[in-house]
Amino acid sequence: MNIVVALKQVPDLQQIRIRNRQPVFDGVPYTIGSIDKNALEAGVQLKEVSGGNLMAVSVGNEELEDTIKEALAGGADEACLVIDDKFADIESSISAALLAAAIKKIDDVGLLLFGEGSGDNYSGQVSSRVAEILGFPQIGYASQIELEGQTARITRVLEDSEEVLEVRMPVVVSVLSDINKPRIPSVTQILKAGRKPKKVLGIDDLEIELSGDRTITTLSSLAPETDRQRIAIKSAADLISALRAEGFLGR
Amino acid sequence: MNFTLTKEQALIQKMAREFADQNIALVAEQIEQQNEVPREILQGLAELDLFGMAMPEAYGGADAGYDSYVLAMEQIARVSSGPAMVVSAHSLGLAAISNFGTEAQKQKYMPPACRGEHITSFAFTEPGTGSDPKQINSTAVRDGDHYIINGTKRFITNANYPGSLVVFAKDSQGGKPTAFIVDKFCEGYSVSEPWKKLGWHGGPLCDIYMQNIKLPVENLLGELGNGYPVLQYGIAFGKIGMNSVALGTTLAAFEESVKYAKEKTHRGDPIAKFQAIQLKIADIAMKYETSRWLAYRLGVLANNPKSPSDFAREAALSKVVIAENAMAAARIAVDIHGSYGLMEDYKVSRLYRDAIMGPQVEGVIDMQKLIVAGAILA
Repeated sequence: MNIVVALKQVPDLQQIRIRNRQPVFDGVPYTIGSIDKNALEAGVQLKEVSGGNLMAVSVGNEELEDTIKEALAGGADEACLVIDDKFADIESSISAALLAAAIKKIDDVGLLLFGEGSGDNYSGQVSSRVAEILGFPQIGYASQIELEGQTARITRVLEDSEEVLEVRMPVVVSVLSDINKPRIPSVTQILKAGRKPKKVLGIDDLEIELSGDRTITTLSSLAPETDRQRIAIKSAADLISALRAEGFLGR
Repeated sequence: MNFTLTKEQALIQKMAREFADQNIALVAEQIEQQNEVPREILQGLAELDLFGMAMPEAYGGADAGYDSYVLAMEQIARVSSGPAMVVSAHSLGLAAISNFGTEAQKQKYMPPACRGEHITSFAFTEPGTGSDPKQINSTAVRDGDHYIINGTKRFITNANYPGSLVVFAKDSQGGKPTAFIVDKFCEGYSVSEPWKKLGWHGGPLCDIYMQNIKLPVENLLGELGNGYPVLQYGIAFGKIGMNSVALGTTLAAFEESVKYAKEKTHRGDPIAKFQAIQLKIADIAMKYETSRWLAYRLGVLANNPKSPSDFAREAALSKVVIAENAMAAARIAVDIHGSYGLMEDYKVSRLYRDAIMGPQVEGVIDMQKLIVAGAILA
C-alpha cells in the first residue's frame, strides 16, 4: 500500500523580513509547510508500524526539486512532483486539480495525508478538493491515526469533543499540528535524500485541462491594528470593575 | 567562485539550528551552571551524525565534508558552546586518527567514535609546555611489543569521557615527540576533575595522569619520532571546530544585540533608532560576515588540503581573525546591553566569557601569527 503525503513548498517564514509593511521574499528559500511536516511525520510513523511505501506528492515551480529533499530526508521513500515555472502562486482549486491528477497515476493508494492548512495562505481547501475529485472520503482535524488492514481509525478533534471514526481506505486525512513532533533528520538522511527515487511530471503528462488565470495575488497581509485601553488600576476592585465594563466578566 | 550553500548544506544548517533551539536551549543554563553537557544532548548529537560528520563512510562517518561540519557546529555553538566544544575536540582527535592511522587503527577506533559511543581526545599540552613540541616531558619507553607511557597532560578536552586519546610522548630511542593512541581509562590512566574555567562551560578540560600505561606497538600513530606532522595537522584541523565555536558566539552576539536593540526603549523609542546603537550593530554584522566566510572557506579547504603546511597557515590565519572578531563582537554586544549585559540573566554575559576563551585555547593568537608569518617569509 502507498501512503501518500501531499506537501506544499512555501517561503521559509523564519527568513521573511518586513519592509514598508510588505513581506520581502528576495533570497528567501523555500521549505515544506509546517503542518505538512506533521503530515509527513504521521506517514513515517504509520509506515514504521504498518509497513508500506511513503510517497511525497507536490506541485510547484522548479525550486521544488530541491525543496522536496527536505521531505525525502524526513522519511519519504520517493517523490512524485508536478513542476512548472508557472506554479508559483497558484490558487487552491488548481493545486487540488494538479495534485489529484498526479495521485491518479500512483497505484494502490491507501491513505492520503495532508496538513490541515498550508504554511503560507492556509486556505485549508486543498485536501477537501482532492478528496472530491478522487471520490475518496475525507476526515479533517485528525489528532491520531491507526491502520489495521484496509481500515483506518481516526481520532478527530472538534471544538468541545473528540470523535473516533473508522473508515475503509482509500481515505483523505488532514492532520492537526499537534498530532506529533516531526523528527529532525540526521546528516546521513539529508545526504541520502537526493538519491531517493523522484518522478517529475509536467502539465502535459497529466490528463487535465486548466483554464483561466492560475495565480493568486496577495494585495495586503497585515495583522489587525490593536491599541491598549490605558486604564489605570489602583486596586483589585478597580480591575474587576474595568473588566466588567469591558464585558470580560459577568457575561 | 560560488558563495551559496547547496540544498543539502542548507538542510544540515537548519537541522543543527532546530536541534539546538529545541533541545540545547532548554538546558543551556544548566550546562552553564553544572559545567557538564547532559547525556541526552550528546546522544541527540550522535543520532544526528555530528560525531562523525566529516569522516569517511567507510569508517562509520557521514562523509558530509568539513564545510557542512562548520555550518552545523556554528548553529550548535550559537546556543551553547559546551556541546560544540565536546564535538570539536572529539573531531580533532578523530581527524588525527583518520589522517595518520593505519587501516587497522581506523577500523578499530573510528566507527564507535563516529557513532558517538566513544568520545575522542587529543593530548599534547603539559604543565610545563603549551605549543613547543620539544619541551614535552611525557615518555614512551619500548618494552618488547609494547611501549610504557608516563607523563601528565594538561587542559585536555573530553579526557573524562570514555574513548580513544591521541597522545604525544618522547620515544626513548630518539627522544623525539611521537603520537600514540591510548584507550582512555585503561590501566594507568586517570584524570582530574574538570577545570573550572571562565567560559565554554560544558566542554570539560581535565588533566591526565599516565602511570606506566602499557601500550601495544600497533598503537603508534604515524611514524616513530615523527609526531610533529600529526600535531601540526591535528591542531590545524582542530581549528575548524574552534572557528565554528567562535563563529557561533559571534552569531549569537549579533542576534542578541539586534533583538535587544529592538525591544529596549529609551524615552519611548527602541534604542535601535539611535545611531550610536546602529553603528554597533553594523560593527557586529561586519565582523560576523568576515568570520563566517573565513570559517566556511577553511572547511572547504579541509575537504582536500593541498599540504599540511599550507593548511596549517590557512587555519592559523582564520583562527586569529575569527577568535578576535568573536571577542570584539561579544564586547560590543555587552555595550549595547549596558548594565544588563553584565548580568548572568542576559545571554551576552555568557557570550563574553565564551569569546575570551578562543584566543587562548588550541594555540594562542601570537603563535598563530607566527605560523602565518613563518609561511609568508620562509
